[in-house]
Amino acid sequence: MTEEAFSGLRILDWTQGVAGPYCTKLFADFGAEVIKVEKPGAGDAARRMGPFSKDNPHPEKSGTFFYLNTNKKSITLNLENETGVKILKELASQVDVLTEDLMPGRMSELSLSDDILRKVNPRLIVTHISYFGQSGPYRDYKATNLTAYGLGGAMYTQRPSNKPTGRPVVEGGLQAEYATGVLSFIATIAALINQNGGHGGTCIDISAMECVASTLAVHMGEYSYMGLSRRTNPWAIHGYPIGYSCPSRDGWVSLTPGIGGATNIASLIGRPELKNDALFTKPGARMAESEKFDALILPWLKERGKWEITKEAQKHRLGFTPVLSPGELLKDEQLDAREFFSEIDHPAMGKVTYPGAPVRLSETPWRVGRAPLLGEHNEEVYGRLGYANEDLVKLREQGVV
Amino acid sequence: MGYTLLEGIRVLDLTMFFAGPISSRILSDLGAEVIKIESGSHFEVFTRTNVYPENKPGEEPWNRGCLFHSLNAGKRGISLNLGSEKGKQIFKRLVEISDVVIENFRPRVMDSLDLGYEELRKVKPDIIMVSMSGLGHYGPLRDFYMYVPGLEGMSGLSYNTGNPDEPPLLSGYAYGDWVLGATGAAALLIALYHRRRTGRGQYVDIAGREAVICHIGEMIMDFTLNGRERMRVGNYHSSAAPHGCYRCKGDDSWVNIAVESDEQWRRFCQAIGNPPWTKEERFSDSLSRWRNQEELDRLVEEWTRQYGHYEAMEILQKVGVPAGAVLNMKEMHVDPHLIDRGFFDVVDHGRGIGKRPIPRHMPAKFSNVETFVPKRAPCFGQDNEYVLCGLLRIPKDDLRRLEEENVVGGTPNFPRGRPTPTDLIEKQAAGWFDSDYINELRKRYVEGIGENHDITSCLIETSDT
Repeated sequence: MTEEAFSGLRILDWTQGVAGPYCTKLFADFGAEVIKVEKPGAGDAARRMGPFSKDNPHPEKSGTFFYLNTNKKSITLNLENETGVKILKELASQVDVLTEDLMPGRMSELSLSDDILRKVNPRLIVTHISYFGQSGPYRDYKATNLTAYGLGGAMYTQRPSNKPTGRPVVEGGLQAEYATGVLSFIATIAALINQNGGHGGTCIDISAMECVASTLAVHMGEYSYMGLSRRTNPWAIHGYPIGYSCPSRDGWVSLTPGIGGATNIASLIGRPELKNDALFTKPGARMAESEKFDALILPWLKERGKWEITKEAQKHRLGFTPVLSPGELLKDEQLDAREFFSEIDHPAMGKVTYPGAPVRLSETPWRVGRAPLLGEHNEEVYGRLGYANEDLVKLREQGVV
Repeated sequence: MGYTLLEGIRVLDLTMFFAGPISSRILSDLGAEVIKIESGSHFEVFTRTNVYPENKPGEEPWNRGCLFHSLNAGKRGISLNLGSEKGKQIFKRLVEISDVVIENFRPRVMDSLDLGYEELRKVKPDIIMVSMSGLGHYGPLRDFYMYVPGLEGMSGLSYNTGNPDEPPLLSGYAYGDWVLGATGAAALLIALYHRRRTGRGQYVDIAGREAVICHIGEMIMDFTLNGRERMRVGNYHSSAAPHGCYRCKGDDSWVNIAVESDEQWRRFCQAIGNPPWTKEERFSDSLSRWRNQEELDRLVEEWTRQYGHYEAMEILQKVGVPAGAVLNMKEMHVDPHLIDRGFFDVVDHGRGIGKRPIPRHMPAKFSNVETFVPKRAPCFGQDNEYVLCGLLRIPKDDLRRLEEENVVGGTPNFPRGRPTPTDLIEKQAAGWFDSDYINELRKRYVEGIGENHDITSCLIETSDT
């Protein structure tokens, strides 16, 4: 007797790219009806972002768009147009949540301010997602994942190859965007829980710069409590040879002694007599003479495969783990046993395999589903609003849908 | 007005270290009552006993560690020994009056304590239980010892972080733990939403590695759609250029610039004064710039080196080109935008620590919702009386007896407080120290920062509820 967590919940999603769509994807995958509003013709910007199926750039073949928009419905609507704005209000009156990520201020210019929307639907939750928020000196600045990541402080802590004064490097992929997506989801759902509690709707202002900054609790604390501005990860200070990738025979392994303690490394590499050597017992000694430590362990690693090393080390209670490529995940025994990846047919892309649920809930299943074609649900959604097919033809002629 | 979003939600928090406490910190920022449970044998050893105010361990160093303060602000704290029969009974009574139990022990631990989900739902049928782990609660590798390098390394993220000719790079700030923590909070709220609607609780299994994989979806898609293995690309973009981090005037000062279109390129050139090289054929369109970006980066950096990072950002933002200073931790605390937005809360820690700005873990602003400043992170066992006598109505005499029996209270054998080895950090250039930080913060926030003044924070009222 299982039911989706969000069944019956309706979201009008006027976001594009990564952050907003990741937020609403979580709603859609757990059962909400997410109606995605796209610009006629062009659609979501992610439709033009690679990777494309078979490297064929086509708006219905973007892997990025597919992944971020599973289980959603797509309608096209031109908001440059007064009729478009009127229709958006009609839609807003019938949903629980509206998410948007236009440049701050744009909603008011379109006569869709919070006040107007709340008049249309007093229970509505409006989630405004932007790079810098709806107020403040940087409000109108332009940004991307890269620039938001730097302004959020995270980039300063990322130095290549343990060279603390080297050129900072951004985290792989689009992490400023995803972090914003998750926090937008959390903020929205917290507001929904409250709405159910009878407090009505609320408007949420969430920004990527602050989302990135909120992930930095440790580094921030080091400044406000002791004046330290750290350029690296915080582990180095405690002397663990932690996290740095070391070469093995077939790729990289990261060495993390963890609770097993570094003394167990001595027995792992067949040198139990060194167990009491300062190199293994004192983090400081390891830091001071890292070459000596490397000379002991690197040759041992080089002769072995990353999984062999990992499994042997784990028996010694050491948290060593392999560094895996995205492709290696598709043949990973743990992910396989947990049936992590999903597969579904798509009209333009054929069979598509994609990452599954980020969390497993025992009573409320996660849905497998594909991303919508551009405007695929126009008839269904506009029909529900009372627009007949002939009305749609007229709206199409006027460039509204 | 006058309510918080998760008002009335009580969370029993058995988590330790980073990921779990991040989860419950987010809930606490949303107004939930989080009761953090430690014990004499199981306590926050790492975060409580590292990085001290003014680098002085002081008295009771375990109540001074700043990592603990950042991650646990706003929570209540009790000490309860779950290894004892009486401790288990008390825990179950707490479950009866709570909404959620959240834990990040290694798989099996809760079951071996006889406090698994099946046991807990016997005492509270609609309880929500969230288990956070590295690889999940079932599957052949579930018992792996997993830390943040495992979360990032085994998800494909490390493999794609860093420069192409260098080893995979671990995030600087335990990002994998944050992803696990935030995803944990998200899952917990999904379950809570469902319970509000249906009255039914459930069990949630979160594998941190899987949560991180979900944050590199597009890279996975390149493999499944095209068989292409994505690799580290440093700061490069897949098609736009210039796109990178450029050195500015001053020490260790950098600005990110991301030119996404030919129109932005035209404006970028104009902003930097249209030097002759910008007219060269090899930079004339996106593809050419992308192909010649090493040379392009060198030329762009010749320009950025003449300006401070904020200055370069402002020049480019004026013409609508995405540019952003790379802010260090001092700059974050004094940044005009973050101060204007009220990103930091000034939390009062009482004697010996005083007030400090700390960032919210839920940075969104909500209309019609009460904003509040969280209380300082709990001293060890601080709320025993409030929770056990106040909430559970255990008579105070009985509490004394429980203390004598080591079921509650006591002070664990915390390691001796060690100052941070500042000389080593400086020698390795792993960071730098601002000797005037207290004054810098006082100027921007309030006078009381860092002052040795008394509050009664460790003895919060035990009354009501």
